Amino acid sequence: MRSRLMVTMLLALLMVPLVPPARAQNALVVSIWGGNWKDTVDKVVGRPFTARTGIPVEYEVGGTIDRLAKARVAKGSPLVDLNFTTTHVARLYISDGLYDKLDLAKLPNSKEIAREAFRSDFHIGSWAYVYTVVYRPDLVKEDITKWSDLWKPALKGKLALPDFDPSHIITIAALMEGGNEVNWQKGEARLKQLKDSVAAFYSTDAQSQDLMKTGQGPVQVMLSVNAYHLQEQGIAVKVVQPTDYPGVVGIDTVAVMAGTKQADAAHQFINLALSRDIQSELVRTLRVGPVNAGATVPASLKGQPGIFLSPAEWKERGYIMNDEARAKNLPGWREWFTANVVKK
Amino acid sequence: MKLLLLPALVVLAVFAAALAALFRWSLLEFVPGSLQTGGLTLANLRGVLAPQYLGAIRDTVVLSALTTVLTLVAAYPVAYALARTPSRRVRSAILVLTLAPFFTGAIVRTYAWVLVLGNTVLAWPVPMLFTERGVLVGLVHFSMPTMILVLAAALSHIDPVYERAAASLGASPARVFRRVTLPLSMPGIVSGGLIVFAWTLSAFPTPELLGGGRVKMIANVVKDLGLDSFNWPGAAAFAMLALALTLALLTALGRLAAGRPS
Repeated sequence: MRSRLMVTMLLALLMVPLVPPARAQNALVVSIWGGNWKDTVDKVVGRPFTARTGIPVEYEVGGTIDRLAKARVAKGSPLVDLNFTTTHVARLYISDGLYDKLDLAKLPNSKEIAREAFRSDFHIGSWAYVYTVVYRPDLVKEDITKWSDLWKPALKGKLALPDFDPSHIITIAALMEGGNEVNWQKGEARLKQLKDSVAAFYSTDAQSQDLMKTGQGPVQVMLSVNAYHLQEQGIAVKVVQPTDYPGVVGIDTVAVMAGTKQADAAHQFINLALSRDIQSELVRTLRVGPVNAGATVPASLKGQPGIFLSPAEWKERGYIMNDEARAKNLPGWREWFTANVVKK
Repeated sequence: MKLLLLPALVVLAVFAAALAALFRWSLLEFVPGSLQTGGLTLANLRGVLAPQYLGAIRDTVVLSALTTVLTLVAAYPVAYALARTPSRRVRSAILVLTLAPFFTGAIVRTYAWVLVLGNTVLAWPVPMLFTERGVLVGLVHFSMPTMILVLAAALSHIDPVYERAAASLGASPARVFRRVTLPLSMPGIVSGGLIVFAWTLSAFPTPELLGGGRVKMIANVVKDLGLDSFNWPGAAAFAMLALALTLALLTALGRLAAGRPS
């Protein structure tokens, strides 16, 4: 009797991690990055959504790849209903059949969305930003106005680049040599010339901001959102709108998970997130660029890198990589970049 | 009685299943731009033998060995003081200072080193941050508390009578230490050395933050392949290779330690 009780208790203990966390009935579960991203989406989209529909919203937070891995193991019976991720990582979800096709009839606000934000039949842009040159004028004597300035000898030992995703600098180097992200090899020689200029490579947004704050990496290829965040914190960084080649656009996207039982609610949530009012609020809070052309942008952000307000601005002030090429090339790019630029 | 083995067997089965899954992944073909994998292949295992990955393995082993030696040298005097001081206050103070880093967490400690090793607080004559030197400093600091505690435990088991006997027979303090204290504390040195070496082999946050992307150890490469390149088969292959290497090194060191003269 006692041994049977022991076995039962042991099995019960083993089952604990397998039981999914309790969710409110009919809650819409949104997968998103943690910290400011989740807090802002909850405040700006989630709470108004609940107020309008009565459907509670819960969040599954984590890093880009953690959430992708979770989605993969839960394929067919998703733990979340709706997913935010970067546009090229969304291609991995799509390749594995993890997203449902979007029903545009259920997204009337999508009529106001910039053409560039329609990434595929499965995912749609929620906001935009750029990777551009950002620097601290108090630590760098010469003005930086162009991408090509990064190659100046004066910046030797001052540059910090992302090594988790070198696609931006690889694309820019290729553009400078008459190529693009598809025939990126054209920029190889130019990229190698950057090797001695780099003080550090960063793997996370937090590292990037720390390098800028401490002055260890006072010139960076940096996410515009992070640069504006530093400015808010009183760090005098200059966000460059390069005059030779545009900033490299990043688009975060939202999609409905395949197999969700909350597809209608998920579409309602996306539709709300794409509305003018919510987009205006997202711009104000996150310092991102709106995908809804009718969104209101604070005067301080108008014309700034990553804030596109018209079809012409999307085209002229930003370079949008081909998502599929980026997703396919990234592993090879990283390998080449590590061997030829990162390694001393 | 056999039933009592059940929890251990379950844990063993879970670990074995995880390792088997990892091994299976290492043999699957990586398809760039997709989560789908291809058929069985040895390409991933061959791929991790590329110079840059072998370089990471070499750096890991060298950094682990240096960390072990430097930690031992730095920790021994502290452990000796902790074990031998007659003052309870001094012992408490050393113990508190030794244990304090445990309460701050690896990330916080490493971020503190980012500030110290950079040029914002001190002007270093040679670059420290984002170099192997800086990573080594961080690893030694991270390993110190454990090494001190292991050595102090070994030293406290040495009966001071042996040292007094050697001294009464005319041995100088240095000779007493070299011929009596050091050999008798060898079990602590071996245990502490093995612990520090083993966990430095799997160090992640210290090289990640203090290496500035330039210093990559095994765990950093696994993370790069798996999380940044989406190359899960490649990451699994590298993890398997690292696991085999770690087991081989620790087995060799264990045998070396077991075969030492008593």
